Amino acid sequence: MSDIKTVLDETPFQTAGPFLHIGCLPNAINIEGVFDNDLGVKPFVNKDYDKFIKITGSVFDGDGKALDDIMLESWQSDENGVYSPESGFARFVPNRLTKKFNLYTVKPGFINNIDGKAQSPHILLSISSRGLNMTLNTRIYFEGDDLTSDPLLSIVRNSRNDVSSLVAKKIDEDIFLFDIFLQGDKETIFLDI
Amino acid sequence: MVEALIKRNLKTHPQLNFPDYKSSRLRAPKNKKISFSSTSTEISGPVFNKDIIGKLDNDLTLNFSKNNILPIGHKIIVFGTISDQFANPIEGALIEIWQANAAGKYLHHNDNNTAPIDPNFAGCGRYITSSKGYYEFITIQPGPYPYPNRGIEWRPMHIHFSVFGKNFGQRLITQMYFEGDPLINSCPMVNSIPDEKAKHSLISTLDTSRYNTKKLLSYKFDIILRGTNQTFFENRKEGL
Repeated sequence: MSDIKTVLDETPFQTAGPFLHIGCLPNAINIEGVFDNDLGVKPFVNKDYDKFIKITGSVFDGDGKALDDIMLESWQSDENGVYSPESGFARFVPNRLTKKFNLYTVKPGFINNIDGKAQSPHILLSISSRGLNMTLNTRIYFEGDDLTSDPLLSIVRNSRNDVSSLVAKKIDEDIFLFDIFLQGDKETIFLDI
Repeated sequence: MVEALIKRNLKTHPQLNFPDYKSSRLRAPKNKKISFSSTSTEISGPVFNKDIIGKLDNDLTLNFSKNNILPIGHKIIVFGTISDQFANPIEGALIEIWQANAAGKYLHHNDNNTAPIDPNFAGCGRYITSSKGYYEFITIQPGPYPYPNRGIEWRPMHIHFSVFGKNFGQRLITQMYFEGDPLINSCPMVNSIPDEKAKHSLISTLDTSRYNTKKLLSYKFDIILRGTNQTFFENRKEGL
């Protein structure tokens, strides 16, 4: 790798704005007949729905208000910790009345990292909306899993004491709560991925 | 040797905390993001099959038209390439776009502007790039529109772009502007980007060489996604 290549600047982000559903989830806002299906309605199409977990939560702004004009995207491995380009992606929005989002998916397994070490089961979650000049990224880990040797959580522990904003709470059998706080005392830890 | 994403240069991206853009005040996180070396999570990502794309998905003048009535406004082509930071074209990238109609109105329940809806224009399109990273949309020139910010301000004409590359680290959501639009310079969303060159890279250019072949005004907008490098891991023996 002795040749020095020119590195171009990445195209800058801009906010997804309040009307992102038109391009990303048109069928969800009753723009029908343009795209056959919205993207990422189900993260795994060929898996047994009975074995899915539910992750539910809200996204709160600095005034503690639960937002509904946002889009969430998730990317994850399967139950064996394997990533495959055909599945594992989901796209969803909070319900306009309850302001809660629900993600039904398989619980990811321990993931073999590129350096040979295992990562604890987690889901990469991105948040785009009006008021966010760049998409935010965070991770959902799961209460009850071994989180002691996860490489990213170790880095987070070194700079912040508390990793709890990255850990979904188990509130029932196969149901996890993951609230996201954009600002304030409980501000969620966001990642420069 | 393993693959890792090039570290993001935040000077070429907008500031999250940018009070001139009022909506950012209660939404932009205050703490610094956590940086870390890429893991298998970020260097993988969904790849979309070309068969999800319908024949008219990239022609916004036809994909919502009723009884073959064209939407109002002037028809344009928006085209360009998607490549990475080392100028490698990216084939198979999914682009989704959304925009206002010619009157500056979105087909959306939260758009309170009094401008009219166009019954033949939804404002959404998508496309998967070809072998040289090329993409093309046929659409209607979007109108500028007023919105509440520091009082009423006007958004420059723009098209929203969402792009999926080869991995989740390349995921990009941005906006494309139009060369010569006098509203660009005062737009707080544009001005949230500190670097002038980066700001300018969001402005598409009128491609006059296409006047005769395409017979439509054509705007060129090239997109650059994150690059990946090969790196060594200290704790790993060569060949393992």
